[in-house]
Amino acid sequence: MKQVVVHPERCLGCMQCMIACATAHSQSKILFSATLEDPLPKPRVHLGAGLYAEGFPNRCRHCEPAPCMLACLPGAVFRDPERDTVLIDPDRCINCASCAMACPFGVIRYYQDHTAPPGKTVAVKCDNCLERQEQGLIPACAEVCKSGALTFEETSDAMKRKTDVVARSVSADISQTELSPGFALLNTIRKAQAGLSAGN
Amino acid sequence: MKYVIIGNGVAGIHAAEAIRQLDTEGSITMIGDEAHDPYCRPMISHVLDGSVTPDRLPIRDAGFYDELNITPVLGKRVTGIDVNNQTVFIQEKTGSSSMDTSHTLMGLICKLLSVLLGDDPGSETGPKDFRKVFPYDKLLIATGADPRPVKAEGLNLKNIFYMRTQEHVSQMLEVLPDAENALVLGGGLVGFKAAYGLLRRGLNVTMLIRSGYPLSMQVDETAGKIILDELLSHGLKVKTGTEVKVFEGTDRVKAAHLSDGTEVSCDMVVIGKGVLPALSFVPDKIQTDLGILVNPYMETSIPGIFAAGDVAESVDISRKTPWVNAIWPEAVNQGRAAGMNMAGRQVAYKGSLSRNVIRIFNLDVMTAGIVNPPDDPSYEILSSRNNRLDIYRKLVFREDKLVGYVMVNSVEQGGILTSLIQNEIPVRKDCQWSVVSSPLSVISGQLTN
Ligand SMILES: Cc1cc2nc3c(=O)[nH]c(=O)nc-3n(C[C@H](O)[C@H](O)[C@H](O)COP(=O)(O)OP(=O)(O)OC[C@H]3O[C@@H](n4cnc5c(N)ncnc54)[C@H](O)[C@@H]3O)c2cc1C
Repeated sequence: MKQVVVHPERCLGCMQCMIACATAHSQSKILFSATLEDPLPKPRVHLGAGLYAEGFPNRCRHCEPAPCMLACLPGAVFRDPERDTVLIDPDRCINCASCAMACPFGVIRYYQDHTAPPGKTVAVKCDNCLERQEQGLIPACAEVCKSGALTFEETSDAMKRKTDVVARSVSADISQTELSPGFALLNTIRKAQAGLSAGN
Repeated sequence: MKYVIIGNGVAGIHAAEAIRQLDTEGSITMIGDEAHDPYCRPMISHVLDGSVTPDRLPIRDAGFYDELNITPVLGKRVTGIDVNNQTVFIQEKTGSSSMDTSHTLMGLICKLLSVLLGDDPGSETGPKDFRKVFPYDKLLIATGADPRPVKAEGLNLKNIFYMRTQEHVSQMLEVLPDAENALVLGGGLVGFKAAYGLLRRGLNVTMLIRSGYPLSMQVDETAGKIILDELLSHGLKVKTGTEVKVFEGTDRVKAAHLSDGTEVSCDMVVIGKGVLPALSFVPDKIQTDLGILVNPYMETSIPGIFAAGDVAESVDISRKTPWVNAIWPEAVNQGRAAGMNMAGRQVAYKGSLSRNVIRIFNLDVMTAGIVNPPDDPSYEILSSRNNRLDIYRKLVFREDKLVGYVMVNSVEQGGILTSLIQNEIPVRKDCQWSVVSSPLSVISGQLTN
């Protein structure tokens, strides 16, 4: 099954994924009119800054077993096994934040969303853009990401690629291969800058 | 394989589901005191405050027992375990005065059930006595906890409640329309939730607490005072360092006389002085402390007998010592682990962690682990408070590992900290401050050793 795979080392921090995500979860699906909607659509992918101000696209991993699902009091969090997606039923959610205390990635937010009963604050998180996928589109964050930090692919392929890289890097014959050439330089510069400003 | 589970709370339910996943053949019997469909206990406080209707309480539907091919025995309390003969038994004098009305009602329902299910009539020893024996190969004790009783005169008056079951809250809801002044004993989780619920219902609420602020077991003084201020600003009255000596009234409670000589008038009382593991029927052979002691496989000192949930005492990850963490998410985890081990798949449970998240009025509070560390140089506290944004953070490190936290407001990413504690991930000394300001910087992978 295809999933969005996160490659944090390639993230430039441009936040395009956030805008695309909020638009994809708006009523109109159009950026301009989405900004006028009430409730205002919000992104479900969150760009955090690492220690060296490097970007980090943070999004639900749809864990199995899902800690949020096990912690949910009203039984609002459930798994759609066919699409390997953890979802939240806004009708059942009681906004208790038990899932926030359980999520090891900190990707759940609480607000009024057009998919929930009007006026009700509920837990909201990534739904793998199931609505878009039904229309043959790929998740909005992966579609818009230009640096390859978010890709939509078979998880087994992604795993294999990473294992291959690791296997190659430990081989004695071959000099170390960069996981993401080009980005390594950028991140080294960031670290150096952070080091300098910390020194001041 | 014969599995018997005592208690149909969340720990028992998750154990039964885990067993069924691995063993489709074995027989499972669940004996539970409460005859309702399995429900969410913490949510009874939401029913009290009016944010949730009672029909939202069930966490499994009525077909649960059938679907998993479980034999339910509901409305009955197990009275003993015969460890040598591997049996569990229920023995009671039906209609005895020691049971309150809800129990007799449930007793009736159960009798009806046993007739319908065609139970062996010989298992009842007489018209007055009820005795039934259940043999087991693997036994789970998941009986949860009972409210800690208080000592005072006049406890038999009407409108004095505990708050542990759905039944308790529906009784409270019945008297709400006529109630004006409520008295809540205890500032622990349950007392606190009762006080909040009754405030939301528009009652005048007085709370008696031991320390200067509520939730003293869960939060530190700073967060405790923030919580207290929030409650006070919504009309709560608080009395500290005093307790009830006598409840007064003719039929219903009218007033309470306190140990400091003062009197509080009240037309309802909620006792929320904490809970005690429900293990009165557990024989001495099974090792207990405050709760039933279990190993990482949730097994008690007697092989084949397991315990999980509020009744169990397992090693606490942050405290590194056996501890009863009577909370929902641990009851779930322990129930699952116990079930898998009972069905023969060895799964080690990594230990429990105290934690809570509370939302009241405009305040969010999340806490976990050790929040008031002992005066010991191996502990280091990092804290920050932003009064403008109403944000407070306190992180407790022991050596290079996070062992506790308190967050007030902006709690969305607290789970990252929970997982740092649970997985005992070392955090570099020079980076620990970054965790205070941005938990996310942890997952970006630069802070940990
Ligand atoms: C008002 C309130 C609010 C709470 N809020 C929170 C919260 O916000 N977050 C949180 O994490 N936790 C909360 N809790 C705690 C949480 O409800 C418990 O940790 C959890 O329900 C424990 O589950 P359990 O299965 O171990 O026990 P229980 O849910 O207590 O279930 C045990 C069952 O066994 C039955 N039983 C007991 N003895 C016997 C016997 N001898 N024979 C047969 N049956 C028996 C009992 O009647 C009960 O139905 C709250 C509790 C209360 C009361």
